[in-house]
Amino acid sequence: MFSMFRNLVGSKTLTADDLQPVLEKMKDHLIAKNVAADIALKLCESVSAKLEGKVLGTFGSIASTVKTTLTDACVQILSPRRRVDILRDAMDARQNKRPYVITFCGVNGVGKSTNLAKVCFWLVENGLSVLIAACDTFRSGAVEQLRTHVRKLNALHPPARHQGREMVQLYERGYGKDSAGIAMEAIASARDYRIDVVLVDTAGRMQDNEPLMRALTKLVKVNQPDLVLFVGEALVGNEAVDQLTKFNRALADFSQQQPPRLIDGIILTKFDTIDDKVGAAVSMTYTTGQPIVFVGTGQTYSDLRNLNARAVVASLLRA
Amino acid sequence: MVLADLGRKITSALKSLSNATIINEEVLNGMLKEICAALLEADVNIRLVKQLRENVRSVIDFDEMAGGLNKRRMIQSAVFKELVKLIDPGVKAWQPSKGRNNVIMFVGLQGSGKTTTCTKLAYYYQRKGWKTCLICADTFRAGAFDQLKQNATKARIPFYGSYTEIDPVVIAQEGVEKFKAENFEIIIVDTSGRHKQQDSLFEEMLQVEQATKPDNIIFVMDATIGQACEVQAKAFKDKVDVASVIITKLDGHAKGGGALSAVAATRSPVIFIGTGEHTDDFEPFKVQPFVSKLLGMGDIEGLIDK
Ligand SMILES: Nc1nc2c(ncn2[C@@H]2O[C@H](COP(=O)(O)OP(=O)(O)OP(=O)(O)O)[C@@H](O)[C@H]2O)c(=O)[nH]1
Ligand SMILES: Nc1nc2c(ncn2[C@@H]2O[C@H](COP(=O)(O)OP(=O)(O)OP(=O)(O)O)[C@@H](O)[C@H]2O)c(=O)[nH]1
Ligand SMILES: [Mg+2]
Ligand SMILES: [Mg+2]
Repeated sequence: MFSMFRNLVGSKTLTADDLQPVLEKMKDHLIAKNVAADIALKLCESVSAKLEGKVLGTFGSIASTVKTTLTDACVQILSPRRRVDILRDAMDARQNKRPYVITFCGVNGVGKSTNLAKVCFWLVENGLSVLIAACDTFRSGAVEQLRTHVRKLNALHPPARHQGREMVQLYERGYGKDSAGIAMEAIASARDYRIDVVLVDTAGRMQDNEPLMRALTKLVKVNQPDLVLFVGEALVGNEAVDQLTKFNRALADFSQQQPPRLIDGIILTKFDTIDDKVGAAVSMTYTTGQPIVFVGTGQTYSDLRNLNARAVVASLLRA
Repeated sequence: MVLADLGRKITSALKSLSNATIINEEVLNGMLKEICAALLEADVNIRLVKQLRENVRSVIDFDEMAGGLNKRRMIQSAVFKELVKLIDPGVKAWQPSKGRNNVIMFVGLQGSGKTTTCTKLAYYYQRKGWKTCLICADTFRAGAFDQLKQNATKARIPFYGSYTEIDPVVIAQEGVEKFKAENFEIIIVDTSGRHKQQDSLFEEMLQVEQATKPDNIIFVMDATIGQACEVQAKAFKDKVDVASVIITKLDGHAKGGGALSAVAATRSPVIFIGTGEHTDDFEPFKVQPFVSKLLGMGDIEGLIDK
């Protein structure tokens, strides 16, 4: 019976008080979808700021107006301001007779090595040869893990299919060595042997571990990779913000270089484990402003996707 | 300390009660809002947080209550009870028995820290004089056996695994039989990471359980996990008989509140925490002392028992 009042309510000017209860619900919804709490709050505040004082359209309810505004805000956050075109840039580097270098970094166990192998597969599928630099010289089995991937990838792409060329090779110096030095040797070797791309695997490290963060900064500083990718898992909660902020801060503070080399993009892994709790995608891009270059969706080589911002936002806002 | 930040925020919220001259609906709501925000920032499951709020609210009836002191006490006690519920499933932790075989199976999501923690646990018992060993029943992850082998070798712990056998059930069974025959006391079985959306891998986990008949199944959870923990933990519990939880990576910045929802979902206690990548970065975890410390209050026991 209240439907007859719609029009009256419908044409009113929105106040913060009108919006507050709806936004409160929306915030809880975002948190339940695994958006970091303070980012959920900031998002809702930005929606409030946008809508306050606006006249509500005749047919729209407050809830639907909020939802539309929030959708737009999230799509904007997730849409890259800058496109990372690895294939094009790697081809350019090849023209210039130098290898294109990508460094993978992130906290422990998020999927750096596995997704490095997936990126490797994708590069090889696109005709580029790859040298994997085993710069995790700490974690047990890290080198053997990469060696296994190299063997499997070469079996999928045997030299016979590539003019006798072995498409994937491993550069390793075992355990306990300085990772920055190994990366440097690997890059030099790739240059000598005309290998197109160098993928640098690094050890997982906690963002507060200063010695390890310094070591990563050194690796990045002395080798100046073309791309520094931060690998984060879609499972991560509020920590997403802290991880990214502190990786960037360490890269800036410890490098004493102007401007410092920071994170250029994100790989969001384990997207297959979270159903519709897609909030980490928003937390990570909101925090850095950097694009999600790849999404990891499983444990096989083909489980690597591009982010579909609209689809992610749709599942974010779905009840 | 783990969750220390959270403890501080909760204590300060509770203090706001003591500072208020009268305790009314508004004061209670303000305090609950603060506590819930702190819990959410620590990744505690939002459903559990809402429940906590409801439960505390339902205990307090302002119309029926008399003196201010009584109200304060009732509210504090209700909050304590709810917080303890988050961390304490109310069941006793499983303990291995000396002089017989104790088979322990590790399960968990990909990359949560199972393999690392297997060695930590084996090392922990070995140092206490138990005869311990490790079995690698992960034939899926590249380099998994090398990882376990290198860890075990460094810690001088006997291990079993295979580079050629592809069926983890076979390896687990063979390993357990071999080590049982050799009278090992703590036999730890490491398995591949998996998640609930992978039906066949969940089925495989069940088969490993049936083949090895573990005395204890430990669910390993990463402290950085957010809201997805609960459904995953529950799915593991529904499939196999999880009885303990270990939370890893608490040396980082993470508060570990997300991982705590594994306690509610599996109705299993946290028995150890991982605090680093090294084999001795490992601590036993006891619920009650933890809660007292967390809330920085001496008289909790008294409050909860009321
Ligand atoms: N389901 C799923 N699992 C993944 C994905 N990416 C990686 N994994 C799994 O996550 C686990 C850890 O992956 P790794 O690649 O070893 O992680 P890492 O970051 O290199 O780990 P450290 O080097 O030890 O820090 C492995 O079991 C991988 O198979 C993904 O997109 N989906
Ligand atoms: N900082 C820190 N790192 C840890 C801790 N526990 C494990 N790790 C690291 O987390 C990463 C993943 O650990 P693993 O033991 O390989 O995890 P897993 O669960 O066996 O992985 P899968 O077998 O691929 O599912 C490694 O880099 C470990 O060194 C911890 O308590 N603190
Ligand atoms: Mg790795
Ligand atoms: Mg493992």
